Amino acid sequence: MRFGWYRFLVIAVAAVAVLAPLVLVFYQSFLDAPFFQPVTHFSLEAYSFILGESDFWDAFVTTLLIGAGMTAIAVPLGAILAFLIVRTDLPGRGWLEPVILVPIFVSAIVLAFGYVVALGPVGIFSIMVKSWIGFVPWNIYSLVSIAVVAGLMHVPHVYLYTAAALRGLGTDLEEAARVIGANPWRVAIHVSLPMVMPAILFAAVLVFFLGFELFGIPLVLGDPQGILVLSTYLYKLTNLLGVPSYQLMAVVVVAIVVVTLPLIYLQRRLLRQSQRYVSMRGKGQRAAPLRLGRWRWPAFVFIALWFLVTVVLPLAGITLRSFVVTWGEGVKLADVLTLDHYRALLNFPNIERGILNTLAIGTIGGAFAVVGYTLVALAIHRWNSGWVRFVDYIVMLPRAMPGIVAGLALLWVFLFFKPISPLRSTLVSLWLAYTIVWFAYGMRLISGTLLQVAPELEEAARTVGASEARVMRDVSVPLIRYGMIASWLLIFLIFVREYSTGIYLLGPGTEVIGSLLVSLWGTGDVDLVSALSVINVAMIGIGLAIAVRLGVRLHA
Amino acid sequence: MVRFTAAALAAAFVVFAPQAQAQVPQGYPADYSKIVDAAKKEGKVVVYSTTDSASANALIQDFQKLYPGVTVEYSDLNSTELYNRFIAEAASGSGTGDVTWSSAMDLQVKLAADGYALTYDSPEIPSLPKWAVFKNQAFGTTYEPITFVYNKRLVPAEDVPQSHADFVKLLNAKPDFYKGKVTAYDPERSGVGYLFVNQDVANWPQAWDLFKAFGKENIKLYTSAGAMMERVTSGEHLVAYGIFGSYALSRSHKDPNLGIVMPKDYTLVTSRVAFISAKAKNPNAAKLFLDYILSKRGQEIIANKAELYSLRSDVTGEATLKKVEELIGDKARPVPINAALLEALNQTKRLTFLKKWQAAMKGQ
Amino acid sequence: MPDLSIQNLFLRLGDNEILKGVSLTIPVGSVVALLGPSGSGKTTLLRAVAGLEVPYRGAIKIGERVLFDSERGIELPAEQRGLGLVFQSYALWPHRTVQDNVAYGLKLRGVGADEIKTRVAAALAQIGLGHLAARYPHQLSGGQQQRVALARALVYEPPVILLDEPLSNLDAKLREEARAWLRQLITSLGLSALCVTHDQVEAMALADRIILLNGGVVEQEGTPTELYTAPRSLFAAEFMGSNSQLNGKLASRGGGQAEIEVEGQRLRGVDRGGAAPGAAATGVIRLEAVQVGGADGGNGLTMTLATQMYLGERWEAVFTRGTTTVRAYAHAPLAEGEHNIGFPPEALWIF
Repeated sequence: MRFGWYRFLVIAVAAVAVLAPLVLVFYQSFLDAPFFQPVTHFSLEAYSFILGESDFWDAFVTTLLIGAGMTAIAVPLGAILAFLIVRTDLPGRGWLEPVILVPIFVSAIVLAFGYVVALGPVGIFSIMVKSWIGFVPWNIYSLVSIAVVAGLMHVPHVYLYTAAALRGLGTDLEEAARVIGANPWRVAIHVSLPMVMPAILFAAVLVFFLGFELFGIPLVLGDPQGILVLSTYLYKLTNLLGVPSYQLMAVVVVAIVVVTLPLIYLQRRLLRQSQRYVSMRGKGQRAAPLRLGRWRWPAFVFIALWFLVTVVLPLAGITLRSFVVTWGEGVKLADVLTLDHYRALLNFPNIERGILNTLAIGTIGGAFAVVGYTLVALAIHRWNSGWVRFVDYIVMLPRAMPGIVAGLALLWVFLFFKPISPLRSTLVSLWLAYTIVWFAYGMRLISGTLLQVAPELEEAARTVGASEARVMRDVSVPLIRYGMIASWLLIFLIFVREYSTGIYLLGPGTEVIGSLLVSLWGTGDVDLVSALSVINVAMIGIGLAIAVRLGVRLHA
Repeated sequence: MVRFTAAALAAAFVVFAPQAQAQVPQGYPADYSKIVDAAKKEGKVVVYSTTDSASANALIQDFQKLYPGVTVEYSDLNSTELYNRFIAEAASGSGTGDVTWSSAMDLQVKLAADGYALTYDSPEIPSLPKWAVFKNQAFGTTYEPITFVYNKRLVPAEDVPQSHADFVKLLNAKPDFYKGKVTAYDPERSGVGYLFVNQDVANWPQAWDLFKAFGKENIKLYTSAGAMMERVTSGEHLVAYGIFGSYALSRSHKDPNLGIVMPKDYTLVTSRVAFISAKAKNPNAAKLFLDYILSKRGQEIIANKAELYSLRSDVTGEATLKKVEELIGDKARPVPINAALLEALNQTKRLTFLKKWQAAMKGQ
Repeated sequence: MPDLSIQNLFLRLGDNEILKGVSLTIPVGSVVALLGPSGSGKTTLLRAVAGLEVPYRGAIKIGERVLFDSERGIELPAEQRGLGLVFQSYALWPHRTVQDNVAYGLKLRGVGADEIKTRVAAALAQIGLGHLAARYPHQLSGGQQQRVALARALVYEPPVILLDEPLSNLDAKLREEARAWLRQLITSLGLSALCVTHDQVEAMALADRIILLNGGVVEQEGTPTELYTAPRSLFAAEFMGSNSQLNGKLASRGGGQAEIEVEGQRLRGVDRGGAAPGAAATGVIRLEAVQVGGADGGNGLTMTLATQMYLGERWEAVFTRGTTTVRAYAHAPLAEGEHNIGFPPEALWIF
């Protein structure tokens, strides 16, 4: 049973990659000093300190509120959007899908900063509105705004799961409702969406879960009011004591993991339930879309509005910012237009390398990541074993660590796990960090395509005499090759926008655009930040355009 | 006498074998050439810095021109990341930055005090202010006034506070106009912010009055200078309290709407602190780099290209100690690089101070 | 080639007991149909033989070669069993041509390239698709795909070929042709085959022997004639053929005969065991045995014609009386009203 060996080997490697940083963090939480110092003692002091901190509880509650708020916004919107695009004759539904997914691929910090420029108290659009009605009817720095923005940005996540489930549902069920006399909305609310409820609930749990790792939005929009969530509370924690106190940060991570583990469990339960639903589905896969009739254009406007607020406004904000010297109250934008920021970028040291590295990590790194995810997905593919559950947990766990902690923990791993130490100052370390952090996403992409391979195709190969390994090589992998290419493009998009995870692993020669953005933001060079952001967004846009052009199905 | 002979010998050597020995900067001891040679063998110096590479680029280029064969591997990080990375790497025994150069003065002094810094009698020490040298281990490299910045478009000229005392008066005089329009670093979330307000209290008895006025005016607190300046120039806020003069200066060149004030009653001056790692893998190259950024040549670039403010009195230009003195006379209050900074890291004192700050933010 | 034998097989999927002690033998050179309603475990049994499902008890052998034996802890993986399996969906690999699909099993067995070529050509010729070797599966019709799937399973000459609902994906017309063709191919090659089907007509047409599965156990086993003419249980009787049911009370039994009281009338029939006199009983009769116009000996009921349907070569009529409904064939349309319906005693089975 050589394939058994392969399975356990792959699972072991994945487990080590994921658990090593996490175990290090857990271990650290029980010490009274950095674990690498010569003298450390076991101590629960960190726990008693954190649990006694009112700021921690405030941040905790804020995180829960934002998580709940964004879930409440993202779930209904995402579900309805999915119904409209998958099931109805909505205008432009062919090209709308990639557009809807854009928020996933744009850095949250870029979007959040774009919101400040567009909708902040003196934002370009705010001033416009103010000139019409005399005041600005919103405050984007409030807790509610953070939840709303986060909710709108996570609509695509709900969309992806709901759309996938809806595609698996026979249209006859909806047609039956339509014939009886239900209008499209009733069909959606009474038939289609209830049928895919497990998938929707699954996405809801995911969005709530993602609420815990929210960083860019609360960092930028929560800054002026000092609104802290757990991931930004870590900053305050560090500063409260003057020197970074790892045991305290570790306790916060433990707290997040403790909250998220039940969520993963819940997700698994829901997933199993949704698979049960699949067998209930009707027949007749390809049928005419539901006709919306007079609802057609209102529905389109509804989507356009969402897209305007979630993507167009912030991106317009950041783009505009990159072409002006200054902005705000009393500024005529026509007077301050400039290309200087882009010119300055040309003189910016390492910019070329930053762009090249970003492309390299996106393309080459993305390809290797897909290979890695595929190896793991194959290892648990059609395997009836408790280990599959183990892998499910392993895959989700890296998400429980806020990016900055994950980055630090990974630095520790690279430093103190000697065999891989030499890789630390290369792009490989960055690649590994990205690959681990995006494990869950990548696995979903690959196992999604693997699940579409009919089991008989693999069983047929077994019966004609192919071993499990041969089946994977000759049947499963060739059959998902287009899915793998699609996943590669999606991973490319994710890797191009990512940076926070790699922050401690970056060095001379391994800069990426994201890291350049952060260091510039720190010194206040917003001009360059905005120009660089636009370039980053352009890269992602081009990637997305290629993906669409190649007909990549963006849903897993 | 011995030294003279050595120098003469060295000079003779240069004449006879110009390739064999490196050139020694003017005024440096002759045996400095050994360091130069050793540095060239090392071939590189690894620098961890909080100064972004765009600003530092000119410095790096000039250094590499001065010492061909020694390349600078420059990483820019924020100060907390730099600290985290440095101590972890040092503990692991795998390489870390040869030179660490950070604006977090307290953390730098702590690292030096904890034995992470190499003691080095830099030939540039005599040219530096006394307060800028800590045990010949950590060295101040810049002279950065902490300024107020304001929006020239929206703040009436007569309002612009010229001193800390003016600031209190202004806030009391026009509370409605400035409500929610003043911004500063958050000392609870930012190390720099803590350092600033802590030093204010040490230098100015009325500091708490100002902070209470901030609290009453519903001041907006941030964690990054970029966020603050962006919001001041856009008009979302009007005045920012406590911005590095270097950042403000370079921003004001691009955006004429940004006004800068060095307060006339006293102006805090901070300095980016550099030290050589005790376990540096390239100690000689590190020495070259440190000496270079302290040297007149390096400081000229710091002043005029990087706009980080030179701390040498023999450097002229806009961003220099000299210019600051011209503007505010003897009111500059450099934060001395010494063990007193460690007090800021004392947990109990810090928490007590922040409690008081929190109360002030409620106007109490 | 030795016999395939299955001994006392138990299999569980999740919490469901699917197979509850199935034993059977497939003699060399015979075609055996596994017949049963959906959920009877027939496909699961086939997959267990193929090695795609793992029983928790029992044994599967081909002659002396043990494929599975729970007691001895033997479980050969599917690829080492050397069987041929044709899937209901055919499961042709969409990324390989017909040629490559068929050749794969030989390639895995290390057969040389030249030999593969000749053997695949022979196999394709056998199924009459030699000219389509370079096509991809999606370029073939359903019937052609089915043949390719068969060729793929046969090309490496497995001792037993397993067929899972081989004809169910074909349309009605094609199915009848394919049935004859399949039967002919299997017998002409002298293969042993195990064929899963839910269609009793298909089972009878294809198979030498039929194994009727119900709820995970073998209900009855025998030749098609035995199953059709001598069902041993109500289930077997009802599953095979088209039947009418007469529900009533058992009036008497004895000497292989029984009487059932239906709608106040006593009917004689063959005693198939079961209830004591006075208990509820069911009479089953094949549609073609029902005699419209009364039977010899008057074993019958007077019933009302409810409706009649034209089937082409004959008519099917539905008669009712009280709660009893009986269907029967007629050669010509019947008049409205009451008819005498006869049930020949030797054709009425009473359970």
